[in-house]
Amino acid sequence: MSHSFTATVALIRDTFREAFARKIFWGLFGLSIVMILFFLFILKIDIVEGGIATASLFGAGANRRMVGVDVDRIVRGVYGGIATFLYTWGMFLAVFASAGLVPSVLEPGRIELLVSKPISRVHILLGRYAGNVLVVSCNIIFLVLGIWTILGVKTSIWSPMFLVSIATTIFIFAVLLAVVVLMGVLFDSAALATMVTVALMILSPILAQTSLMMRLLSSEWSRDLWRTLYYSLPKVYDLGTMTLNAIQSRSFDGFMPIWTSAVFGAVVLSAALVVFSRRDF
Amino acid sequence: MKVYRSRWTRREVRAVDGISLRVPRGTIFGLLGPNGAGKTTFVKLLLSAVHPTAGSALIFGHNAREPESRRPIGYLPENHRFPTYFTGAGMLDFYASLSGLDSAQRRKLIPEMLELVGLEQWGGVRLGKYSKGMLQRVGLAQALIHSPSILILDEPTDGVDPVGRRHIREILTRLEEKGVTIFINSHLLVEVEQFCREVAIIDKGKVALSGKMHDLTAGKGYRLTVANQVPETLLEGLRSKATSTAARDGMIDLHFASRELVNEAVDLVRSQHCDIEALIPTTSTLEDVFVRTVEK
Repeated sequence: MSHSFTATVALIRDTFREAFARKIFWGLFGLSIVMILFFLFILKIDIVEGGIATASLFGAGANRRMVGVDVDRIVRGVYGGIATFLYTWGMFLAVFASAGLVPSVLEPGRIELLVSKPISRVHILLGRYAGNVLVVSCNIIFLVLGIWTILGVKTSIWSPMFLVSIATTIFIFAVLLAVVVLMGVLFDSAALATMVTVALMILSPILAQTSLMMRLLSSEWSRDLWRTLYYSLPKVYDLGTMTLNAIQSRSFDGFMPIWTSAVFGAVVLSAALVVFSRRDF
Repeated sequence: MKVYRSRWTRREVRAVDGISLRVPRGTIFGLLGPNGAGKTTFVKLLLSAVHPTAGSALIFGHNAREPESRRPIGYLPENHRFPTYFTGAGMLDFYASLSGLDSAQRRKLIPEMLELVGLEQWGGVRLGKYSKGMLQRVGLAQALIHSPSILILDEPTDGVDPVGRRHIREILTRLEEKGVTIFINSHLLVEVEQFCREVAIIDKGKVALSGKMHDLTAGKGYRLTVANQVPETLLEGLRSKATSTAARDGMIDLHFASRELVNEAVDLVRSQHCDIEALIPTTSTLEDVFVRTVEK
């Protein structure tokens, strides 16, 4: 095994250790377990059991359509709701939980020792970044797969498109984490990192109203500014909408939100690596 | 060279200004200096924790910015903050991995290192439960685990009790015998005097004095001790040659600046048939040397 690989594994394991030493990450997993238990519980109540039983009785012949009730639609609606929850509260909690993981490494007395080891600073920061993405990914995969399995078993409706939300949620978290990392290496402040990242999340649905704003804004420069902000900042809202559309088998307009967000994440992470490499500790 | 600039006033502080030290392999080398002299910045330049404003930091002929140049270095920082979620063994495993040891080497070396620093019973205990002295010892194990050829220790005995200090001293002496170069940055002059074979005193970012310990602390002079009851005329004669005299416990200590003068004094005492209690060459303490150097 090469030194580089050994060091990468060590950095990722260290991030996992630190994440779970912080009660906030246990809180995230606890919340996921509560959500899974909640779905187990609501599928036991009569109205749902009755609805599902009726749908099962009519089976494929009834095309899963009861009188006024479409179980497919209900399940897809539930999946959409979960995906939306992940995009708002789940993402906020993940950012909040992760915000301290970079400043903690930069604490005096800890960082000097890390940078004195025979690995590059880029390697150290990327190792921590990857570890952080993996911790949150485990939580997202656990939550989404858990709910998907429960709903699938109970309704016999297996909607693979719901699993797309795993990829999109992890992707947008990775983009936002780049902002957390940059703020962390610039200002050593978890609070500031959280504030800036959450501000980007809040800004996203506002900036997404581009076509409306193009009509409302009177000057060309203000329209240019709006477009520049929209295309350059991460599109949390657009990606959420894309995921929802994919789950509910609706069409969506191209992959622009994905690649522009990816470019934003790559640029911000590169800036964080440059700042970290040049800093004195 | 390393210059720190205030963010607002742009006032400059030259922390390190062209320090070049030649440290013989297998030596325990002490780095001394008053607070703010640039010792820690100098060490951090070697480890690439800070970057030079001008010039470059070289270690074993390699630029300190290259990660590979740090492979032969073991480092224990001052005021280290090891994450408390680690156990002693877990911490060693993490830092050994970063130093390039594979899992088989780590499995073998971690118990050996814990035993070396006297913490073999504590490997499975979280660092949050360790005392300051124990943290210092496990920190030393961390610096040693990859068998470095140069060990940089910043205040290595800070917070360690006298027994622990002796233990650390014994470990360092054994390492010196094995040919490891040890670089100690410390405020404890007595300890540096005991540990180190060579020393450099840094002041205002420059090397103010450096050399072998016994050369620097070798004093120029002799102390002659005679009984208090010597005749007054003899005492007057001795005082006229001595640079200083001091009475204590029925004795008089007379300090002479040269061998010629002390020989004349001895002849004078013996010619009066008086007894000489002691005659010893005097040495300076490292503290004397240090104070003289930084007060220049």
